[in-house]
Amino acid sequence: MKRLLSWVLAAVVLSGIAFFMGGYANDVYRKLLLWVALALSYNFLFGISGQVAFSHFSFYGIGAYAVVIFVFQLGLPLPLAVLAAAGLCAVLAAAVAIPSTRLEGFYLALATLAFAQLFVVVLNEGGKVTGGPGGLADYRLPEILGFRLAGPWYTALIVLLVLGTAALLWRLDRSWFGRACRAVRDSPEAAAAMGVDVARTKVIAFTLASTLAGFAGMAYAFVDNTVSPTIFGLENAFLLLFMVIIGGSGSHAGAVIGAVLLYLLPFGLSPLIGHHHALVFGVVMVAAILLQPKGLVGLAGLVRRARA
Amino acid sequence: MKRLLAVGLLALAHAFSGGAGAQDTIKIGVITDKVGPAKPYAEPVTEGAVFGANEINRKGGVLGRKIELLIEDDQGRPDISATMARKLVEAGAVFILSMSLTPATQQQQNVTLETKTPQLTPSNSGDTLTTQINNPYFWQTGPLGSTQIATLLSHARAKNLKRVALISDNSDLGQLLARFFRGGLEKSGIEVAVEEVIPRGATTAEPQMQKVRAANPDAMFMAGVLTPENVLILRAHRQLGLKFPIHSSYNLSVPQYMQVAKGLLNGLTFVDAYDPDKPEVKQFEAEYQKATGKTPYNLHGYGYDGILLVADAIRRAGGPDKEKIRAAMQASSFAGIMGAKGMKYSFPEGKRTGFDPTGMVVRVYEGDSQGRVVHVGAK
Amino acid sequence: MRDFLELAVSATASGCVYALIALAYLLMIRPTGIINFAVGEWAMVGAFAGYLTLSKLNWPYPAGMAAMLGFMLLLGWATERVAVRPLVHTGAPPLAPILALLGMLVVVRESVSIGFGPDPHQVPEPFGFAWQKEYMVGVTLAVFAGAWLFFERTLAGRSFEAVALDRKAAALMGINLPRVTAASFAGGAAVAGLAGILVSPNVSAHYLMGVPLAIQGFTALVIGGVGRVEGALLGGLLLAFAEQLTVRYAPIPAGYAQGVPLLLLMLFLVVRPTGLLRARA
Repeated sequence: MKRLLSWVLAAVVLSGIAFFMGGYANDVYRKLLLWVALALSYNFLFGISGQVAFSHFSFYGIGAYAVVIFVFQLGLPLPLAVLAAAGLCAVLAAAVAIPSTRLEGFYLALATLAFAQLFVVVLNEGGKVTGGPGGLADYRLPEILGFRLAGPWYTALIVLLVLGTAALLWRLDRSWFGRACRAVRDSPEAAAAMGVDVARTKVIAFTLASTLAGFAGMAYAFVDNTVSPTIFGLENAFLLLFMVIIGGSGSHAGAVIGAVLLYLLPFGLSPLIGHHHALVFGVVMVAAILLQPKGLVGLAGLVRRARA
Repeated sequence: MKRLLAVGLLALAHAFSGGAGAQDTIKIGVITDKVGPAKPYAEPVTEGAVFGANEINRKGGVLGRKIELLIEDDQGRPDISATMARKLVEAGAVFILSMSLTPATQQQQNVTLETKTPQLTPSNSGDTLTTQINNPYFWQTGPLGSTQIATLLSHARAKNLKRVALISDNSDLGQLLARFFRGGLEKSGIEVAVEEVIPRGATTAEPQMQKVRAANPDAMFMAGVLTPENVLILRAHRQLGLKFPIHSSYNLSVPQYMQVAKGLLNGLTFVDAYDPDKPEVKQFEAEYQKATGKTPYNLHGYGYDGILLVADAIRRAGGPDKEKIRAAMQASSFAGIMGAKGMKYSFPEGKRTGFDPTGMVVRVYEGDSQGRVVHVGAK
Repeated sequence: MRDFLELAVSATASGCVYALIALAYLLMIRPTGIINFAVGEWAMVGAFAGYLTLSKLNWPYPAGMAAMLGFMLLLGWATERVAVRPLVHTGAPPLAPILALLGMLVVVRESVSIGFGPDPHQVPEPFGFAWQKEYMVGVTLAVFAGAWLFFERTLAGRSFEAVALDRKAAALMGINLPRVTAASFAGGAAVAGLAGILVSPNVSAHYLMGVPLAIQGFTALVIGGVGRVEGALLGGLLLAFAEQLTVRYAPIPAGYAQGVPLLLLMLFLVVRPTGLLRARA
């Protein structure tokens, strides 16, 4: 009960802030929240299940495009479109994951890299359906029961999405499924010996994480009211990886910290180091792997222990 | 943990709320790309605008007040572009200049439409920017793809082209330009016998150019905007011993080609909006050279004209009222340095594209340097 | 028919570039099992070194080439020292060096972008326009011949093989593991830089050229197989031929032809991840 109360409190506080911020701050906040959601689900895929994948941001894009196409081209009501888009993400994720179960480590990463690039090709060649290189624009969130979510209310919706993702992943992490994922990550042979179905665990983890990314994508579609292939390119896949590693892979708090830090820092760093924050991130990421693989979370832990 | 997060976010929110600026400057926002794929093009355009703003301020500013340029970097990412637009609006910008990629400018339109802020792109050439969304606060004075092909075609009219090849790359602007080039060609009754695409990262364009050769065209039109891929096309043209003439979009006017495509450019015609023989252009080049020590080229001119056009509109509006500026901008009739002799920017009949469709010129490469103007206008 | 012959030459030249990148990967994977995705950026550095020495400073071609190779050897060795050896020492999971190298990828690319700007730059051909392809093929064959001889005939090469087969046994037999690793990275960097300087007269030296090359090279490696040096060459040629023949002859829209290498990669990864050529027993 107490736990539920703290989640509700978090929802209220995090949404409440939105009502005190102007349009620009709200925009930054919304996109930050979406990155946090992405980092959390990617952390589950990469940090907890040990699968290196570059397709996560593509599923973000699939969710976004799918919901727009379903609502505005097929005329589906919004709730149905959301479910259909989620279903599409799940099917595509399974289609990528099932044949890839035999691939180890970086081979999976390359297969998902190819998938991510293919996604952009399909978007560009999609003609009227995907809007081609220009993408889809000129749409707005449809009204539900005569009521349209906008401004801080939409931000509140995104807060709910993020908290929902966090709660789900946190719960899963603590369940036997989470333990199975970790076991597969650390040693597939040992996990198999303990009776874990390695292939099925990997597929479920990949499908779940990718579908969660898809949900975040659906929320994004109505943030800028435009989707185009440029937004879902490969650069962001690297950024996501950096976020999770620098924050501390395997840790939910780490994912949140990494996302917040790497998303907000460029805004603040611009006056200092010009605009080459990618360079700084690359250096920090290398440093993180070399010195503190547990990322910032691990660093915080060290500090805490040193002080004790 | 969550409480800490909330407090932290509150503090950040405070930091992000734009403060009220000084009352005595007119703020004009500029969104450019300083690190991403549009940088080679966005940077000189922005430099031209900065030079123009400094010049305006030296001559007394606008309505007695100085112009303050608030420059933001969108890193070539459209989602950040929209955020930057919001930031500029909240910081008090009365006009936004978009110097970044076409999709970024598109994203910013959602914001300028919502906040009723005037927005101008002086360099983007994507035709869909004024058609995808109906935004009365948005103007485009870059040379449209449709204008480019019309100008190229009117120059080629004497050559009696029956069937041509169209080649581009897989960037979004390249695809957009290809679409409008095709439209213009077909409207003129010219058959596009073959259309090819060179993907980003290709190591050769020979397979595509072989298909072009097999179609035996009278000429080839280049609509691509990526330099490495365009160089591949020119190399393949030479490698395969092709003889038909090449007509290109304004992308080939970028001076970098003279360095990376040495020996491949002779005889290539391209559209440009920069007539180096115009007295205004000569004066601009001299003054820019004096102020910065660097030689400007056409891209700088777009930015320069953009800021001068905006300043002129604000002047006529009588003040930094966004609605008055909108009306004044729509009624513009302004002679910049770009375009053929005597060209003016204007937006007649509620149009939002301001570059005179007859204002482009066709130039030809002589040897490895950009040569003379061989044709003016699109009649 | 003329088209096919011309295409064969073009595909062979492109295939050689892919093959060199694949060889760079292979040189590092064999002894260490580490996939260094930064080879694409290394190729870019090679291209820029070519621009700097040959175009800007106007050195004679052999001098520029030597300078580039020397620099790349140093860069490879330094990368191994900084990003790989500490991790191997501390017994980090095998994924860690791969990720560290990904970070290096970004660092290298941003550094070049800061140093040289975003514009593409020209790299000259040593034998002029007409002979560039033949030059590329010639250099590649020479490199592969050298690599094959090294692995098959020299003691140092054999020690590489030994390390590849069984690290512990090799160490027990007195082979200096860190030296082998450092040498493999240095060699990989030099080969990658070579690929860069060979391809850049075509595509110019620009800071975004790394990732496409890295993907193309890895696809070539997967097709040819990690087991043998010849596999890299075979994979590169097959990939280039598949790519270019598809564009030329397949009746699909131009845009979709780009998907061919990606589909090939995914196909091979799923169906035959060990590649076409098996390692020798």
